[in-house]
Amino acid sequence: MSIFYGMNTTASALTAQRLRMDVISSNMANMDTARARQVNGEWEPYRRKSVTFTAQESQFSKFFNVALGKNAKSGVGNGVKVTQIKEDRETPFKLVYDPTHPDANADGYVNMPNVDPLREMVDLMSATRSYEANVTVFNANKSMLTKALEIGK
Amino acid sequence: MTISSVSLMTPTQVVNQTNKLQTTPYEAQQNFANSLKEAIAKVNDQQITSDNFTQKLITGGDVELHEVMIASQKASITLNATIEVRNKVIEAYQEIMRMSV
Repeated sequence: MSIFYGMNTTASALTAQRLRMDVISSNMANMDTARARQVNGEWEPYRRKSVTFTAQESQFSKFFNVALGKNAKSGVGNGVKVTQIKEDRETPFKLVYDPTHPDANADGYVNMPNVDPLREMVDLMSATRSYEANVTVFNANKSMLTKALEIGK
Repeated sequence: MTISSVSLMTPTQVVNQTNKLQTTPYEAQQNFANSLKEAIAKVNDQQITSDNFTQKLITGGDVELHEVMIASQKASITLNATIEVRNKVIEAYQEIMRMSV
């Protein structure tokens, strides 16, 4: 239904932010995980994950309708979607001196995940605020529709 | 902005146009009944979707909380719109019934 166009867009943003929050939770939970997966018999620590957002653009038929001048709404996007959850391979692992650790190398150093709690906290705040902002958009949308129902009362 | 002059139709034109649009009272009634039925079915669909989402949420299905809330809000808005239309219809009916003959 076209009256719920904006609401559907907001819903996609909320879903995306929820997923981002889930990924941040995973990063935070695995802040000290030295054993995430085995590579050639060696344990590799957890790698920080991040989400990639992409604008959900309209499909071909919609562009076609715009070209025909049929529907002005077709130019509006369809919201946002998460295209991938990427592992951070740029940031190096943290080397921690702990000879008692089972995964320590010959010099007594252990590779720890490249998760920076400070950075995760900032991402967490950003995700929360984005979610709130989108809820506000939704409520504004709803109040607009309910106001429309009051026309002629 | 140019203001176009009002063009009046000749009486024969008016008669011709009304003749073209003529439908039997039975047809009109059927058309109206069908479109009303369809509209109400659509509203009911929203309610069912909302119900399904809620059901999924409480039984631990793979559904997000905000999806449930949004579905219920959509259902509420469509229902309110329907109620508004119904009120208008009833109002019109009562207005006609109040007419003194």
